Amino acid sequence: MAMTYLEAVRETLRQEMRRDSRIIIYGEDVGVRGGVFRATEGLQAEFGEDRVMDSPLAESAIVGTAIGAAINGLRPVPEIQFADFIFPAVNQIIQEAARIRYRSNGTFGVPLVIRAPYGGGIHGALYHSQSIEAFFAHVPGLKVVMPATPYDVKGLLASSIEDEDPVLFLEHKGAYRSIRGEVPDERYLIPLGEADVKRTGTDVSIISWGMTVNSSLKAAEALAKQNISVEVLDLRTIRPLDTEAILATAKKTGKVLVVHEDNLTGGFGGEVSALIAEHALFDLDAPIRRLAGPDVPAMPYAPSLEHAFLVTPEKIEAAAKELALF
Amino acid sequence: MPERNMIQAINVTLDQLLAEDARVMVFGEDVGKNGGVFRATEHLQDRHGEPRVFDTPLAESGIIGMAIGMAVGGLLPIAEIQFMGFLYPGLDQLMSHAGRLSARSQGQVKVPLVVRVPFGGGIRAPEQHADSIEALLVHAPGLKVVVPSTPYDAKGLLTAAVDDPDPVVVMEPIRLYRLGRQEVPDERYTVPIGTARVARPGSDLTVITWGNMVAVALDAAEALAAAGEVSVEVLDLRSLYPLDREAIGAAVSKTGRAVVLHEAPMTGGLGGEVVAAIQEVAFWSLQAPVERVAGPDVPYPPYAWEDFYLPNRARLTQAIRRTLKD
Repeated sequence: MAMTYLEAVRETLRQEMRRDSRIIIYGEDVGVRGGVFRATEGLQAEFGEDRVMDSPLAESAIVGTAIGAAINGLRPVPEIQFADFIFPAVNQIIQEAARIRYRSNGTFGVPLVIRAPYGGGIHGALYHSQSIEAFFAHVPGLKVVMPATPYDVKGLLASSIEDEDPVLFLEHKGAYRSIRGEVPDERYLIPLGEADVKRTGTDVSIISWGMTVNSSLKAAEALAKQNISVEVLDLRTIRPLDTEAILATAKKTGKVLVVHEDNLTGGFGGEVSALIAEHALFDLDAPIRRLAGPDVPAMPYAPSLEHAFLVTPEKIEAAAKELALF
Repeated sequence: MPERNMIQAINVTLDQLLAEDARVMVFGEDVGKNGGVFRATEHLQDRHGEPRVFDTPLAESGIIGMAIGMAVGGLLPIAEIQFMGFLYPGLDQLMSHAGRLSARSQGQVKVPLVVRVPFGGGIRAPEQHADSIEALLVHAPGLKVVVPSTPYDAKGLLTAAVDDPDPVVVMEPIRLYRLGRQEVPDERYTVPIGTARVARPGSDLTVITWGNMVAVALDAAEALAAAGEVSVEVLDLRSLYPLDREAIGAAVSKTGRAVVLHEAPMTGGLGGEVVAAIQEVAFWSLQAPVERVAGPDVPYPPYAWEDFYLPNRARLTQAIRRTLKD
């Protein structure tokens, strides 16, 4: 049935919790209130306070206790209310959760899924709009998942919960209510580490992940009317990374535009660009181009400035067109 | 002119900065009475008194949080984080607050803060004492990040960092602290933040690197030159943010071939940004794909395996030879 991105998150959590009694959910306001975005609405009523509970406003404690719960046999799916708030927990995530399998020579795993709404475009301004994937895509031992569509939300969230290692599951808050799609009722899995060609094309490849996949598809639609054929590759998970799919689309079109909302310098687009440059340089017909947020400390609040920060379909269309005509 | 190793250069620079400006404060774990685990602050408490050179609790978020307040209040704090692996608990203060206050206040509030952080491996240290997390810092707009690889640059960059009105992280390569000596002038001087340095001129290929790996690159380049095989240029970035894209472009345009070398894990590392930048500024000069030589995608290993983890002359030499063949 058709549902929003947010409904896909909630219904997947519900289905998974019915299936596996080890799954527990906690975070700031996720219990009584059902989450600031309503991602966990109704879950405490259905599964009780022991499995869906409110936590203190202390992200390091949320993740720290979840690590202990995971090692001891539960399947915690904590929520960090806004991705921007994750940094107090970064020591727990990078130094503990991601390393325990390696440190224990494989004896212990940490089957933990941290859900965090990221991204801008909802007038969240400072501390409520950040994209954080690049900080975590650099961390060995961690997986980073960023779905673009309701269908992918369901399959990727179920896979993340089944995974034996820690997963950071990043949901774009702009997508929550604006992106709708068909989602089957039955349970299904989408493997972590597989990209998806969301649109096939021949002139230019756009490589993106998360919300900007949807913006890229709009741009591709607009360019199709101008006889420019754009392929859109949705990475879906950025760690592990589907290098084969990246190289395949780069070799196919010879022109690559990497798009992300996160700020440019040190962003994950650099990694994607570098992989193509290392392994497909002689297939390229133009320099690899990155389109990303500006290197400023935070998303502005003023609507005009927020719009200027964001990577919009119009900006993607202009950049892809320039590349096609190169 | 006196010859000094890097740790001596840092020590005399801190001494000089404390002497010339009463606003300068030096603090961190064991920096006072003990003089720092690496002796960077030896005798400074005796000379300048406990109010200005003092020991802190083992609480990195407290160290950086307090330093932000001091900087906003008119002091010039130079905080030490004992090892880079301990920086994670202070990252929220550094990235979410120190780096943003100027933009948040439309420039009304400045944070002239310096954080010195010994980083990197090669000294047989236990887990969490050998991390290189420059990729995280470079991706946080509002922070500047510098990395000296010589005693001369250690003094010039540290002085420039203290002069800078914004927060600067000075990453100090532990393995180079005592590796070589160099003439370091007694008088005050600065090395401008944002400028790379040609550590060794060459004509056939450019190795772009920073920190500990500059020594590895020079070693490989010398050996290849001595064997009459190839002339390798070594570009020491020195500043990781802002990145000297002009120098990168000039060096790669000159030789047409490049290898990027760093000790942090490859995926999501700063090498990706450098390769992406090369695509953008020197694409048409490239005669071969740019290869990255970096740490493998695992947590930094126990020290018995350290030599397998760290990029060395042999691995770099192989990459140089591959890049010359293309």
